[in-house]
Amino acid sequence: MTAMPADVVPVRIVVNGEPVEASAPARKLLVDFLREDLGLTGTHAGCEHGVCGACTVLIDGRPARSCITLAAQLDGNDIVTVEGLSPGGELTPMQEAFKQCHALQCGFCTPGFITTLAGVDPDDYPDDAAIRELLSGNLCRCTGYEHIVKAVRLAWGRQETPGEHAL
Amino acid sequence: MEFHEHQQSLFSRPGVGLGDRAPRMEDDRLLTGRGRYVADIRRAGAVEVAFLRSQLAHAEIKSIDCEAARALPGVIGVFTAEDLDDVAAVPDFPDPDLARPVGTFPLCRGRVRYVGAPLAAVVAVDRYVAEDAVELLYADLEPLPVLASIDDALAPDAPRLYEDWPDNRLVDVRLEEDKDEAFDRLRTVSGSYYMQRHGAVPMEPRGTVASYEEDRLTVWTSTQFPHIARTMLHYVLGIAEGDIRVVAPDVGGGFGIKAQVYPEDYVVAWLARRLERPVRWIDDRYEHMVSAAQARDVRIDLEAAVHDNGEIEALRACVYHDVGSGEVFPNGFNPDFVAVASLTGQYRIPRQQSGVIAVVTNKTPAGAYRGFGLPESCFAMERLVDRIAQELGIDRVELRRRLTIREDELPYVTATGSELDSGSHLAALESVAERGAAVLAELRAQETSADIRYGLGYATYVEGVAPTYFGTTGHWTSQDACDIRFDPDGGVTVAVGISAYGQSVSTMVATVTAHELGVPLEDVRVVMGDTDRAPYGLGAWGSRSTIVASGAIHRAAVELRAKGARIAAHLLEAAPEDIEFADGRLHVAGTPNASVSWSDIAHAALIRIHDLPDGVEPGLETKATYAPPGIQHVPREDGRMNACPTYTNASHSVVVRVDLGTGDVHVARYIVAHDCGRVLNANIVDGQIQGGVAQGIGGTLYEEFAYDDAAQPLATSFMDYLIPTASEIGPMEIVHFESPAPGLPWGAKGAGEAGIIGPAPAIATAVEDALSEFGIDEIVATPITPRSILGALRSARELGAVS
Repeated sequence: MTAMPADVVPVRIVVNGEPVEASAPARKLLVDFLREDLGLTGTHAGCEHGVCGACTVLIDGRPARSCITLAAQLDGNDIVTVEGLSPGGELTPMQEAFKQCHALQCGFCTPGFITTLAGVDPDDYPDDAAIRELLSGNLCRCTGYEHIVKAVRLAWGRQETPGEHAL
Repeated sequence: MEFHEHQQSLFSRPGVGLGDRAPRMEDDRLLTGRGRYVADIRRAGAVEVAFLRSQLAHAEIKSIDCEAARALPGVIGVFTAEDLDDVAAVPDFPDPDLARPVGTFPLCRGRVRYVGAPLAAVVAVDRYVAEDAVELLYADLEPLPVLASIDDALAPDAPRLYEDWPDNRLVDVRLEEDKDEAFDRLRTVSGSYYMQRHGAVPMEPRGTVASYEEDRLTVWTSTQFPHIARTMLHYVLGIAEGDIRVVAPDVGGGFGIKAQVYPEDYVVAWLARRLERPVRWIDDRYEHMVSAAQARDVRIDLEAAVHDNGEIEALRACVYHDVGSGEVFPNGFNPDFVAVASLTGQYRIPRQQSGVIAVVTNKTPAGAYRGFGLPESCFAMERLVDRIAQELGIDRVELRRRLTIREDELPYVTATGSELDSGSHLAALESVAERGAAVLAELRAQETSADIRYGLGYATYVEGVAPTYFGTTGHWTSQDACDIRFDPDGGVTVAVGISAYGQSVSTMVATVTAHELGVPLEDVRVVMGDTDRAPYGLGAWGSRSTIVASGAIHRAAVELRAKGARIAAHLLEAAPEDIEFADGRLHVAGTPNASVSWSDIAHAALIRIHDLPDGVEPGLETKATYAPPGIQHVPREDGRMNACPTYTNASHSVVVRVDLGTGDVHVARYIVAHDCGRVLNANIVDGQIQGGVAQGIGGTLYEEFAYDDAAQPLATSFMDYLIPTASEIGPMEIVHFESPAPGLPWGAKGAGEAGIIGPAPAIATAVEDALSEFGIDEIVATPITPRSILGALRSARELGAVS
């Protein structure tokens, strides 16, 4: 016999700068809590086993997988989703670089890439190989990554013009 | 350097700078989390579905015990095939003389034929409870003997998947026994080439949400062809098409697998009507890996009659395809005919004999995946060309040069009837060969490890674009449509029958519309993917969107411009033929200050109709359809067929880095020379090529839907099914050639699939080049894995090729 849905637990966190006091079933995934309870549908569930990175959010400033995190695990943590990165609707420099470099196609994986990149220090990724290594935690099926690497270079001031293709 | 020069000349040329590398209209929403995918559709009172799926590959269904599941709090209902007794079988359109009817139902009746086949649907208050209830279902399944490969299915004593069939052949077009006389006269070179089962695996899985309100069914589904989905729902559920609205919201990748209608789509729509409440089903990744259509799993046997100089006079080909259970629409055999029709590629091969044998097995049904027969045929043909080069001692590039049709031979009709109208076949080959050699030399010079080898490989092909859909569906053909309306403020809304899943088609449609009407891009709104708001169209597949949409928009714009000119001429007291279109205004030629805006025209047509000239009807909108010219929907009497209005061409070269210690093959540099005619937005075309190449690299080196002998799937998560990451995909270089399609309004050819076609043969020959010192020249199958490389090295050492 399958266990019945578990107890409801309190969830007290800060999401995109706003305090949230709610409750959720103990087994509820953070991705589902963000999407269903808070309506933050910019965080996407792509694999539900922590590999593809589409569900990446920042927990206390660090990229984390919301599809393998339970809402109940959090207590007072600071969560930032893709919606929280550009609250006024203005694109961040990284989002602008993605746009200029055509670094997204269907856009499903994109919030995960943007959020991952928002949670790292560019100095830790000094060259293209390091950028690719960083990006390898997020799967993209549309772009072949070439334009994403280019966008990261542009946003991090490592290349001057977006229109030039690296031949 | 030639590459830089070519690229620069391309974009400085007048007339090409349409959108150049302009950013897309789609991006701001998608970048900030404001995309709206099917899982984001929220309807008040919605309930969730989870499916019980077969865990056996082949079994008779004895019974399904639903008692415990029904009793679980939060469960609204459990439904099996017995409940869905009012649905029709999914129609099998193809000619029964070509393909045997399958007659599948949305929930399995009587038998299951693959692991993952849907047996029952649970509806509950949320997905968590629905999955709990699925655990409580008990299906009593009596195992049946299993077919897990082409050979299993073709064995003389093989068990049958469909009892009313005499064997397991879904399609059985035999190769003529009488060989072309050239095979008696000339040297024969042959090979058998296999491409493993893999597939699209988009980052957004599948999903369908349905509601039934006010006697109308609304279905939001992650699809590439909403109108076709609507028609299929009509056929199966018996609801008039006018009472069904299908909406494709933002679609998170498709690449073919969403140009299918699946059992779950019918079931969710049926449930919404039955329960009279919104019903939601979003698959999880495990479900996706066993239930979304898979592709390839194709063996092609080839034999060529070859002159001493390498020229091929005749080809014999037989395509064998494991299409899985066959229980999906459209059925998965049609790529085999595309493969047959495209084998000759850009090569001069006067005659071809062909066969196609598609068999059913106990695997997930095969369907469409980007490339659609072309990666398979290109792998086989290019491997055969390498084999010919080796046997005759001709350089690989030199042989391709000799075989490639020259510009002065165009238009060229291939052995199977494809009419190659234009292209840069030889120039593209030369450019990637030269650039590849330079990169190879550069990388070899930089390498310091003794365990590393580099190799260079090539592939060439042509890709038929905007084909007829008749071969695939046996039903739909090739047209599409647009509906353009001006608003009084001068804004334009263009609704199109094509659909979007990330290929930037909104930007393409807006760009074409803005240029056709001479209005600013920001004044154009694009509507697509909604059967209530867009005209009937066939959706997005076959690299057709740019061709069919620009064709329809062009025809509509001709009408609107003529009407606009008449109204402008009247308002400006000039002659209609003197009106010119520029900067969003209609000018009198030679009179710089005499002009009106499109808003002025729209005001006259929509608000103040007494401003219209005599004989001009009110209104400023028009509809147009477009069917690409020059194609056949069925083979001609001579058996040949031109299925496409034009053909994109490309050549690829690749430099691979092979680690002798680990057997790892890494793509160090990938080079594409691509010709899709007129380039409307180079960023977007580059993106299509790069994405296709990455998928091609994945399919060549990493990805496999492996099954064991019991047809149990072995790759059901991203831990087993390895999609390449940014670290596996090396830098790419792209150069564009532009040979406009002569018969098409914009001269643009399709670009959606070209990238994925070349990687397998290019990488295979590059690996052989890298390992030439070991005499490894027998790569006839994909994936090329470290294990296969180490095995080949071990065999080579045992044979004493190297100490």
